[in-house]
Amino acid sequence: MTAAYLGRRLLTIVYTLLVVSLLVFGMTQLLPADAAVTLLGASATPQSLAQVRAQLGLDQPAWLQYWHWLSGIAAGDFGRSMRTGQDVAAMMFPALGRSLLLALLALVLMLAVAIPLGIVAALHRGRAMDLVVAMVSYIGISVPEFVTATVVALLFADFLGWLPATGYVPVTESIGGWLAHMVLPTLTVSMILVAHVSRMVRSEMVDVLASDYVRAAHLKGLSPRRVVLHHALRNALLPTITIVALDVGYLLGGIIVVEEIFAIPGIGRALIVAVQNRDLPAIQAGVLIIAATYALANFLADLAYAWLDRRIQYA
Amino acid sequence: MSLPLLSVSDYSLSYLTPRGPLEVLEHVDIDVTQGEVVGVVGESGSGKTSLAWAIMRYLARNAVEGGGSIRLGADDLTTLEPRRLCALRGGRLGMVFQDPSAALNPTLTLGSQLIEMIRRHRRASRTEARALAIAALGDVDLKQPEAMLARFPHQLSGGEKQRALIAGAFACRPACLIFDEPTTALDVINAAQVLDLFARLREDTGVAALYISHDLALVSRIADRVCVLEKGRIVERSPAREIFAAPTHPYTRRLVAAVPDPRRRLLDESPDKASQPLLSMRGIGVDYGRHSWLARWLDRPDRRFRALAPMDLDIAPGEIVGVVGESGSGKSTLAKALTGLVDHPGEIDFDGQRVATRGRLRDDYRRRVQLIFQHPDASLNPRHRVTELIGRSYRLFGLPEGETLAQAVARSLREVRLEPALARRYPHELSGGQKQRVAIARAFAARPDLVICDEITAALDVSVQASVIELLLSLRRHHGTAYLFITHDINLIQQIAHRIAVMYRGDLVELLSAEAMAAGPAHAYTRALLAATPLPVSRPSVPSVVSHATAQPQGTPPHDVR
Repeated sequence: MTAAYLGRRLLTIVYTLLVVSLLVFGMTQLLPADAAVTLLGASATPQSLAQVRAQLGLDQPAWLQYWHWLSGIAAGDFGRSMRTGQDVAAMMFPALGRSLLLALLALVLMLAVAIPLGIVAALHRGRAMDLVVAMVSYIGISVPEFVTATVVALLFADFLGWLPATGYVPVTESIGGWLAHMVLPTLTVSMILVAHVSRMVRSEMVDVLASDYVRAAHLKGLSPRRVVLHHALRNALLPTITIVALDVGYLLGGIIVVEEIFAIPGIGRALIVAVQNRDLPAIQAGVLIIAATYALANFLADLAYAWLDRRIQYA
Repeated sequence: MSLPLLSVSDYSLSYLTPRGPLEVLEHVDIDVTQGEVVGVVGESGSGKTSLAWAIMRYLARNAVEGGGSIRLGADDLTTLEPRRLCALRGGRLGMVFQDPSAALNPTLTLGSQLIEMIRRHRRASRTEARALAIAALGDVDLKQPEAMLARFPHQLSGGEKQRALIAGAFACRPACLIFDEPTTALDVINAAQVLDLFARLREDTGVAALYISHDLALVSRIADRVCVLEKGRIVERSPAREIFAAPTHPYTRRLVAAVPDPRRRLLDESPDKASQPLLSMRGIGVDYGRHSWLARWLDRPDRRFRALAPMDLDIAPGEIVGVVGESGSGKSTLAKALTGLVDHPGEIDFDGQRVATRGRLRDDYRRRVQLIFQHPDASLNPRHRVTELIGRSYRLFGLPEGETLAQAVARSLREVRLEPALARRYPHELSGGQKQRVAIARAFAARPDLVICDEITAALDVSVQASVIELLLSLRRHHGTAYLFITHDINLIQQIAHRIAVMYRGDLVELLSAEAMAAGPAHAYTRALLAATPLPVSRPSVPSVVSHATAQPQGTPPHDVR
């Protein structure tokens, strides 16, 4: 992997984000939302509307507005919320942080469950254990988040009363409280991905276990445990990394739903609020931030792949 | 005679299939004593690899053992508990595999793979194991063993990988080693070096070895005794020296007769020398990759790879021109250039007419020059029946007068000695040899003047190869077709070619007649190639081939286009 490759990949990300920004900006232009009306309400006079428009720069041509917006972002200024007048960056980034923590927890939980499940299923290929894992996986895949969320909330919060159903406590306030509020959302988000990734690990593992080098490792006299964990797993996980990176996109989508259900003030919730209020700067910033997160996740996956498989030469 | 170290006695094995049990080994007896090499020869499906897996106790899930025992020293491997078996494997009982590239984990360094094995069996610490690994790599003549430990498998050549694996196997002090076609995936010169290495290490360590191969000539050279396996039964056992001289079992006799012997010409007539050449190529060369304007502007080095240096070659009507060389020598690239599959500079004249460049080849040229590929599995569309596969040729290039498509296809099949009833089958319902015959029938349906055969017998068993070769020669007698016959089998090509082009790393090293090849070629590389190829003969002692084999062609260094 060369510095030139890294540079090129980063450039591609910038390019992708530019295209996304164009799309986002174009869509908000098409929305039947007049920012001035949103701000002042339906009863505003034409004069005051015109004044506000001039203030916001809405009377300028679209390309100029785009340019102002984009150059602002490049300087770290995402504009001000139309609803609260707050700095959008100050609204969105803390929310993003909360969401990323949730995503990270879900990812860790998902991997911790999915990889062993996949291995167990592959080792018992064609037998009862494999079937059980497959069935659980398919149930996981086929149930949408809002159903899972409702079920786990009913079970753990309502019926058992072990965990709070909704709400959020910042980590800085109480780690225990934060964790208690995170358990159910994490569980919900990771459920579908567990199914997806464990199927992937299983099928890759089945292929790798049948490969010549795994057979060679067995015939070198290594213990079955070492063969599976040291020789096979590493190779079986390679394609899984790509899948996980793609799943991050799904994860971010799922988080929007889950945050809404469990009332977690993350970026998904912020985006929904922004859409409900037709808060254009906040919508634009939210979508762009989510796209950037996704692009970055895929970039990191490529790096991890190259690090694990030295045959890959990114040049 | 001392007690056998490895003893397989009355051993049977079958696989459970949906269609009932399939017997793969029946009452097999093999003994190997210390310091002895026993060769097991058989064609595909003979059960030779199943035998290796059975000895290593690495059986498929559907394998059912039908009795008998496999003993290593005092232990019966068939009843040994898994823990002790695990300790034996790779230690006292080692194995070297066919394809060194597949036997090494691609994501771990060579060092970590060797060291874990040595630690397991020599009970060494990490540092000791490392030192042992370095010593072992040095023993097999690998340069810079320390640096080698840090490399990943893809950074090593095939020969280096196989030597490293052999080094690892010997470093664990085996009493018995099983070799499963260890040189089949290697080029002939690399293979010769690996065999020399094997002979030396065997002498030094006195290991007992079971050497499994399809190659009778090779096994008779390196083994003390040879067992011939046919459909799971050992049909003949004899000292290696006598297997070619006096085969007793009919199957062995067939096998021996099928092994290409360069001293036995299968072709005696010579092509028509007076006429103008059928095909004449001038300055045909191929570079892969391109030097983009951006790279040129930035003054980057040219990364193009020269697959084929510009070469000239004439083929007379009805002539068989052989092209031999190792992998990467440019043989197949030549075939691709001639059939317009890759871009190339230079000129091709066919039957007195200039052939346009790639993409605008005349239909006439496309019809008259046909290509047959190495793997019929890949070149025959698995979703088409044989009748469609061959019929397409007729549809493209026209039916002979007075024949329906079905009649033409049936005639084509009879011409390649297949039952016309096979026309209804799909490729997967045919054997390897039958598939290749269908590919030949498809090529000949176009009524070609020149057929380019790209390693078409390389994937076939030796007896099937012999019949395919015989078929090609009879088709030539019948149609007067010329062949450009690409192969890595220098023994085979000497039997059938009028002239032989020897290639090395994209260069035409030498173009000589078969007689000249038999009399002794001029070029050092051709001599090395010949020396590295085992002849199907009984020779009392085998002279080392490495001194010849390491000789590279003078004046033709591996080159890039710079």
